Amino acid sequence: MRRINSLYGRIGLLRRAPEKSTKQSHTLLASLSFSTEGSYGGDGELQQNSSKVKIFDRDLKRIHRDRAAWLSRQKNDSFVDAVAENLLDRLEDCKKSFPTAFCLGGSLGAVKRLLRGRGGIEKLIMMDTSYDMIKSCRDAQEDSLDNSIETSYLVGDEEFLPIKESSVDLIISSLGLHWTNDLPGSMIQCKLALKPDGLFLAAILGGETLKELRIACTLAHMEREGGISPRLSPLAQVRDAGNLLTRAGFSLPGVDVDEYVVKYKSAMDLIEHLRAMGETNALLERNKAAIYDSMFATEDGTIPATFQVIYMTGWREHSSHPQAKRRGSATVSFTDLQKQFGGQS
Amino acid sequence: MVRLNRVLLKDAGNAIDKTLSEILVCPLSKQPLRFCEKTKSLVSDTIGVSFPIKNGIPCLVPKDGKILEEEADASKA
Repeated sequence: MRRINSLYGRIGLLRRAPEKSTKQSHTLLASLSFSTEGSYGGDGELQQNSSKVKIFDRDLKRIHRDRAAWLSRQKNDSFVDAVAENLLDRLEDCKKSFPTAFCLGGSLGAVKRLLRGRGGIEKLIMMDTSYDMIKSCRDAQEDSLDNSIETSYLVGDEEFLPIKESSVDLIISSLGLHWTNDLPGSMIQCKLALKPDGLFLAAILGGETLKELRIACTLAHMEREGGISPRLSPLAQVRDAGNLLTRAGFSLPGVDVDEYVVKYKSAMDLIEHLRAMGETNALLERNKAAIYDSMFATEDGTIPATFQVIYMTGWREHSSHPQAKRRGSATVSFTDLQKQFGGQS
Repeated sequence: MVRLNRVLLKDAGNAIDKTLSEILVCPLSKQPLRFCEKTKSLVSDTIGVSFPIKNGIPCLVPKDGKILEEEADASKA
């Protein structure tokens, strides 16, 4: 374990272990007990950057994703496919082709499977934190005999992108980035890895996701223990997505939102689904399941769950992009425009 | 079984893809990596860390990196 402490010590990248006062520790994540392993000594050192708060336990996430790789091997997930399809559709809207593409975490398998030659991609690089996930993608590729796109695999962390600057044309991340601790940092690294006029396409889960589950958890917890602590991870709001893109330095940013309501036979099915996507936080106690069923069941007995997906697009700046003109440099006034186009009054 | 042999051969040849070797850099220092024949791993000289390659898949998660203290240790790593 000395390995990690001194490794970070060399770079001077130090993170403080999560404060006890902010109850964001997701008790079911047992993040406190995990993070002591990686508690980067020297509490006297200051954080380098205030955005580097450790909310998610990345090691636990890796384990979750290993399990998800195992669970999702057999069947295709329609929700994940729908999101990947939506993301890849946007490639058709661009006249540009992207010879080198980089796929970050999340639902890798779905993206690769549904690509079908869109966007003129010749080389695809897949990356995930979990080795098992990558291995199962590679095995699936060999089984399918579809070798028109040259695919390479690597295991890496979204927060520490091992990609040279200006080396890829396209970065796709389908439901992968909402588990990063430092989302602005990851996006900045993505931007740097892009060639000028390169595209960044990401889909993350938004704040409205699983609101039924959130309510059920809160109620159950209140009944049992008389207090509440957050069980669902903090998720980005739509208004923040735009800020994230501009902060990362992308030009022509675009954000849109889609809500998917998925119906399950019971609350346990929902949890199984979350596990298969690698999205779990915790084990669901039976109490919560009962409340969920009773509060949110629809007439036909199925349980709905909302997933709000935020799609973000951004380009690395290039001279061909339209730029906003400097203030005060306008040559035409609004009155002129009105005369030109015929005002409606 | 033929497929298995093909995979093994490919891995024995050059441990990582040409595409990857052009694009990969150290995740922490963003400096180029060197492929070390002896340990079959990618070494980042600037910070003295080596990252393993499992089955032809480089594992560049910072936690997987092994620190190379001195030349003597490097052979053990």
